[in-house]
Amino acid sequence: MSKLMVAMILVGGKGSRLREITQDTAKPAVAFGGKYRLIDFTLSNLVSSQIDAIGLITQYEPYELMAYIGSGASWDLDVVDGGIRFLTPYSSANDQVIWQKGTAHAVKQYFRFVKDIGAEYVLILSGDQLYKMNYQAMLKHHLETHAEITIAATKVPLKDANRYGILDVSATGELVAFNEKPLAPISNLASMGLYLFNTSVLEGLLEDGSTEETVDFGENIIPKAIREQKRIQVYLHNDYWMDVGTVESLFQANMDLIDNPDFLNLNQSRNMPVYSRSLNLPPHLVEGGVVTDSIIADGSIIRGMVHHSVIGYECLIDQESVLENVVLLPGVIIRSGVRLKNAIVNKQTIIPKDFVSETEQVRLFSGEHFREEAKTIV
Amino acid sequence: MSSLFVVVDAANKGFFGKLTRSRVPGAIPFGGKYRLIDFTLSNCKNSHVTNVGIFPYGYYRSLSDHIGSGDRWDLNRRKDGVFILPPKNLILTIEDSLSFRRMYEHLEYFKRSSQEYVLVTPANLVWNIDYQVLLHQHLITGADLTEVLSAEQKRIRTFILAKKLLLDYILNADTIPYRNLTDCFDYAPTIKKETYLFDAECRLVETSFDLYQANMALLNPLTRMELFKKERPIYSKETMSAAARYGKEASIDNSLIASGAVVEGRVVHSIIGRKVRIEAGAKVANSVLMNQCVVEKDASVSYAILDKETSVASSSRVEGDLNQLFVSEKKQIVVGQENLKVLQITAECHPFVKVGGLADVVASLSDNFTRLGVEAFVMMPLYRMIEDKYKAYLENKAEQIIDYGGEKFKVTLHYVLDQNVNYYFIEAYDFFDRPKIYGYEDDGDRFAFFAKAAVAFLDIFEALPDIIHIHDWHLGLIPLLLKADSRYEDIQTLITIHNIEYQGIHSADILKKLGLNVPFQTQKEINFLALGMTHATKLSTVSETYREELKFEYYSKNLVDIINRRDRDFYGILNGISDEIGPNRDLTIARKYNLMNVFSAKKENKANLQKRMALSIGNDYFLMGMVSRIVEQKGFELLIPALEELLQDPSNQFVLLGTGEEHFKERLERLKERFPDQVALNLEYNATEPSYIYAGADVFLMPSRYEPCGTSQMIALKYGTIPIVRQTGGLNDTIEAFDPITKRGNGFKFYNYDERDLLFQVRHAKQLYLTDRSSWQQLIINAMNSHFWEKDCALAYVSLYRQMLAKPLQQEGTR
Repeated sequence: MSKLMVAMILVGGKGSRLREITQDTAKPAVAFGGKYRLIDFTLSNLVSSQIDAIGLITQYEPYELMAYIGSGASWDLDVVDGGIRFLTPYSSANDQVIWQKGTAHAVKQYFRFVKDIGAEYVLILSGDQLYKMNYQAMLKHHLETHAEITIAATKVPLKDANRYGILDVSATGELVAFNEKPLAPISNLASMGLYLFNTSVLEGLLEDGSTEETVDFGENIIPKAIREQKRIQVYLHNDYWMDVGTVESLFQANMDLIDNPDFLNLNQSRNMPVYSRSLNLPPHLVEGGVVTDSIIADGSIIRGMVHHSVIGYECLIDQESVLENVVLLPGVIIRSGVRLKNAIVNKQTIIPKDFVSETEQVRLFSGEHFREEAKTIV
Repeated sequence: MSSLFVVVDAANKGFFGKLTRSRVPGAIPFGGKYRLIDFTLSNCKNSHVTNVGIFPYGYYRSLSDHIGSGDRWDLNRRKDGVFILPPKNLILTIEDSLSFRRMYEHLEYFKRSSQEYVLVTPANLVWNIDYQVLLHQHLITGADLTEVLSAEQKRIRTFILAKKLLLDYILNADTIPYRNLTDCFDYAPTIKKETYLFDAECRLVETSFDLYQANMALLNPLTRMELFKKERPIYSKETMSAAARYGKEASIDNSLIASGAVVEGRVVHSIIGRKVRIEAGAKVANSVLMNQCVVEKDASVSYAILDKETSVASSSRVEGDLNQLFVSEKKQIVVGQENLKVLQITAECHPFVKVGGLADVVASLSDNFTRLGVEAFVMMPLYRMIEDKYKAYLENKAEQIIDYGGEKFKVTLHYVLDQNVNYYFIEAYDFFDRPKIYGYEDDGDRFAFFAKAAVAFLDIFEALPDIIHIHDWHLGLIPLLLKADSRYEDIQTLITIHNIEYQGIHSADILKKLGLNVPFQTQKEINFLALGMTHATKLSTVSETYREELKFEYYSKNLVDIINRRDRDFYGILNGISDEIGPNRDLTIARKYNLMNVFSAKKENKANLQKRMALSIGNDYFLMGMVSRIVEQKGFELLIPALEELLQDPSNQFVLLGTGEEHFKERLERLKERFPDQVALNLEYNATEPSYIYAGADVFLMPSRYEPCGTSQMIALKYGTIPIVRQTGGLNDTIEAFDPITKRGNGFKFYNYDERDLLFQVRHAKQLYLTDRSSWQQLIINAMNSHFWEKDCALAYVSLYRQMLAKPLQQEGTR
């Protein structure tokens, strides 16, 4: 059976701005909000948009992500005629490259996936953003405006605009110009890195024969499309959107979650629920501790004081520890007497007894630090 | 690798009351995010078992929804997997354990299973175990049947045996004297039996209190360690919810909180399920809240089990205690404990007039309602004997002219307040000024008229009653009459069926006479009870088991369709006895006693009974007592042939007090002639003081064919006289079969209406009496410690009334 739309999720490169957090894992597998991984949001959006043919293009440290997604059953993506496919780099007889050069190159390498499904439209997504969007609404917009390409965009603070691809749009919503990370942005309308293509148009743009490199969507494909005068529409996303690219943005997104009880409607089961993989952990236990204004995931044990913090699954916070504005990724152990403020602690880190860090700047603590510190103490 | 398959016994209903109204015990939510059966299924997965057969009784929708394809436990296999094997008869729930007969219904499953050994284990057992260890143990001891016990040596209905042996039992289910593996372990003489003690956390959850305790045990670190092991996780159905969220004012201590919960208020020592919301200012203590409960702001909940989706309205209080937990029904809305007004309209009420047990029930309910802070009202006809005896006390309240069938009748309402209960009597010369209460040709007209007059007098109430509670057929027309008057549409009605045999079938003209227009009423006759059952808000009967039995035509006859249609609104509430009954203050027995001196006093009372009834005196005689109406319902068709056989043994004695049908009396008299030293009968009409039998007999027989509730067995228990009963109605709910291993239970019971089964249990009891003194004494202690008080019964009704008054968020069905 052929499907109308197929999705290609680009997992992307190293995500070095997340530092040790992405040392051994791909960005989409980074934990968020206690029990989620970033990829949950994109996958749940797809399922809620009735898209169940998904290619996941992985290059960097794919193991943890693959293990997490498994058969995709947690998102109802273990379907017979589609489901989720991991598309890993390969080389073949008529391909000289051994490694995928960029996201667009990866899509090109796996274009057969799109062809096999027989989809008329291809959705290009990234797997490390926090937002809720119904892609069917985007397709509707695409069809109504007779576009060949639709780019999803959102408004960002002008001061941050130089971190994004900035769009210049005509009165009819058509894309006029695209500036990747401009030094002097002319608007605050940023590309979300989310594109909807007519399959034939994308195939044409990826085709060899032109002298241009077709490596990256933002840098190569979209400018090429503008030059070839494709009909490109911009679809505006007005709700919450966060590109979790840095330690600061990961911390901020977690704080947003605490402060807004309706954050992405995570506590509702109707209307685009967010699914995640069950971890088979017992509920968490608060044992003589104090917890206010916080989020706590399964399997954790809280004996200390927790204020305005997000505690991942299987964490232990021992007696007389005080945490404020702290994000614990899963499996962190906080020994007794620890005081932490404005911190994010990488998964599986053990914070030693009586350790104190109360800075105004957000600090990242990772297992490595303490292994060295432990040595020096000994 | 695994040569083991698992048969899950989900056939047991346990004693969970409301919690199992729409699910089997295995599907009860547990520990915030689990269902009880998750432990059994996870143990299967962790023990590499790939073939699991689940035998549920009727309500297994919830269970099968939870299990799905079994993929969470890797049981969605190409070969084998999980099989839900429902009973042929979906509504039968009487079995207390998975029987060979039940297995026979799915013989193919057993034949097809390729594994050599089988583990039979319940769905409501909370433990984390490697079944392969059990198999290993079974193999090295060389046993034919291994029973697994908990660390406290409690039986957990878990057995391991060769499939070949099990198949042997299944194929011969009809001819062997064992119903299930427990029977085999206890009685089968030729097989080699071993026990295995599992010395870690292990709880068989069979009652709502067990459920509470098992939940609370999760707060104990050792228990958690033994249940939630990293290497053997407990898997559950995958659900969708965010991590738990705490508000700024949240305060929490020693509690287990599942994901999706939102806590803004205070939680102490509780288990909080998924997606529960506890609003600001609310307080939850010592309670178990299942998924999606809401405790609104400033409400408080303590010692409660709140079933899924229960809402506690803002500022209301829900308070149970350890002896009597508050248990809500799924989706119940608990509102404040504001004043409740309950009017019982009845044909009889003690002490004013009494024909049967109904009079006592009405009186005890009203009496206990006032103690529970419920305003109690009773309305009944002013019969001649009431007028004769109480006229001087009655106050004339109101008069009316009632039209009945075109004739006008003058009626007067009399009133008396007695011990805080408001009694109203309706005087109507033409209908009630007669020597008898029932038994007239125009009974239908009499009670139809009474119903009409009762509704007409509702206007004397400044504030209308919230609930009108009616009993049996007599007032069956009340719900219809209320519906016809828009002023009374908020009044909720409960009809209690004490005995479905009496239905009140009378001419359909009565409806015309009442001025009621009932559509589709084409028959010449109307059935008062059926009309009451159709139109009342809720229905109840006097025991949970009788409620179940009534789903069968055998018990409910012509009303089976109505019963099944109204199943959702039908409840079973056990009657109770007064806490003043008992050997402690009984002046009519030879020697008063309580738990302290029961063993010596009982001997003395027995000797006194033997002497009084001219039987051979001695403690080595096994004395069977009975106090009963002598009618077919009470099981005399079984009893007489069984006695003929039992009395061949001169050490058996039998005493009976009662009146009834002549043909049974004659057969009993003939027995007496044959065995004059062993049989004593008191069949006189004036035989009204049965205490000496309750106090003196060793066992108390009640082999009833059916028994909606029965109170004699409750009295016998109080006197430490051990009931031997048929497993029916209230007998099943009050008597727990004695288990010589765990020494739990308070009597003996048999299921089949068959004299051989009765004989078997009597002989079993006698053998225990003669050969195992300590067990027998424990049995007496258990019996005397069982109580079925009137006040608990009243409390159960009050809780049902409150549930009837809660306005559902969305109307389900027609009512």
